[in-house]
Amino acid sequence: MANSFEPKILAFLCNWCSYAGADLAGVSRLQYPPNIRVIRVMCSGTVSPHHLIHAFQKGADGVLVAGCHIGDCHYLKGNYMTLKRITFVEELLRFAGYDPARLHLEWISAAEGIKFAETVRAFTAEIRSMGPAPTFEATPRLALSA
Amino acid sequence: MNTKIKTLLEQGQVAGFFAYKRIHGVWYPYLFTKSELDQLEPWQPFKSRYPIAKLLLAKARQNPDQTFGVLVRGCEERALREIFKWNQLDPNRVVMVGQACTEDLAQTCECAKPFPDQLNYGSAPAGVGRQRRVAELEAKADGERMQWWLSHFNRCIRCYGCRDVCPVCFCTICSLEQSDVAPTGKLPPDTSFHLVRAVHMAGRCVDCGLCEEVCPAGIPLRALYKKVNSLVADLFDYRTGADDGRSPFTFLGDESRLPAGLR
Ligand code: SF4
Ligand code: SF4
Repeated sequence: MANSFEPKILAFLCNWCSYAGADLAGVSRLQYPPNIRVIRVMCSGTVSPHHLIHAFQKGADGVLVAGCHIGDCHYLKGNYMTLKRITFVEELLRFAGYDPARLHLEWISAAEGIKFAETVRAFTAEIRSMGPAPTFEATPRLALSA
Repeated sequence: MNTKIKTLLEQGQVAGFFAYKRIHGVWYPYLFTKSELDQLEPWQPFKSRYPIAKLLLAKARQNPDQTFGVLVRGCEERALREIFKWNQLDPNRVVMVGQACTEDLAQTCECAKPFPDQLNYGSAPAGVGRQRRVAELEAKADGERMQWWLSHFNRCIRCYGCRDVCPVCFCTICSLEQSDVAPTGKLPPDTSFHLVRAVHMAGRCVDCGLCEEVCPAGIPLRALYKKVNSLVADLFDYRTGADDGRSPFTFLGDESRLPAGLR
């Protein structure tokens, strides 16, 4: 039964490092689970909390954000913002009662194809063990049972 | 209200002044002009609260060349400062006159600063430091907290009252009306409706509590916004409503807090 759950994972990868890292994983023929859907963004710092909330609302079980290492950002300080913003969204999710572990931030450079594959493997396994994400739909029935 | 405000109007320093007028014993916000000076009553403390900063903003947007005065409480002063910082209003076109809130209003509001820095009327009561609900919620287990929030969120009738009364919801196009963010035709709206608003309140909410006061469903919105604001204060070192010269448009927070070494 547990095997029937295939997590849907959305990945925001920055154009300059992490997307190239994913590319490297691909050309190196590294195996990783096919559960991720990749969205390429110019910088991990452009991923707004709206995107993350929207992803969960649309039924993502996990969201991965990956960008250049600190100090390597193509735009110098974009990923400083990423780090703070992701921390913010994690804490907001936690306060709303959702498990912040469903949101994951990782720094993956263009040379780290192996790290990319490993990250996706580990994150997919983690989400798989957590099960489907709770829905964002508020049903009136909950009010009666609560 | 009838001395300082009268002088401002008489000398033509302001085109109009947003203060309060008693109608059938209840105080209502009112835009006084020079011709209505005799209707200004002496100031006295009262508990009615209105989004007066928002009324001012609407008027000022229609009359960008005029200067207006406004009688503000502590939260309203903070709201106006946020509006200034977000470049929605020219601070040189606003004259603030401050009034203190009463002790019991401060208690009801759980207000940390129930008086403006610019204090002209009344004496400053002590602020209330406790944040009862946030503390209670943090003590809950994660799953329990979600049930708690959902049991409130699912009463939402999507009236937009929280947004409409909010002094810092100054946008002309609102995300909450975009079907991508909060799918339309759904009642109660998805949790995203509330989370998106919470994100927008981060670094903007001045904790006036009007949203919670107007919400017909009695959703404890304030706890959510208090939380996001404390996160912004911790992460970005940005305090809403403070007159400390920090701008939300610059890179905020301490860069050295980033993890050291290779990651
Ligand atoms: S909810 Fe957000 S988008 Fe809507 S008016 Fe408020 S700040 Fe603007
Ligand atoms: S005021 Fe209350 S019921 Fe109305 S939209 Fe806001 S949260 Fe929902």
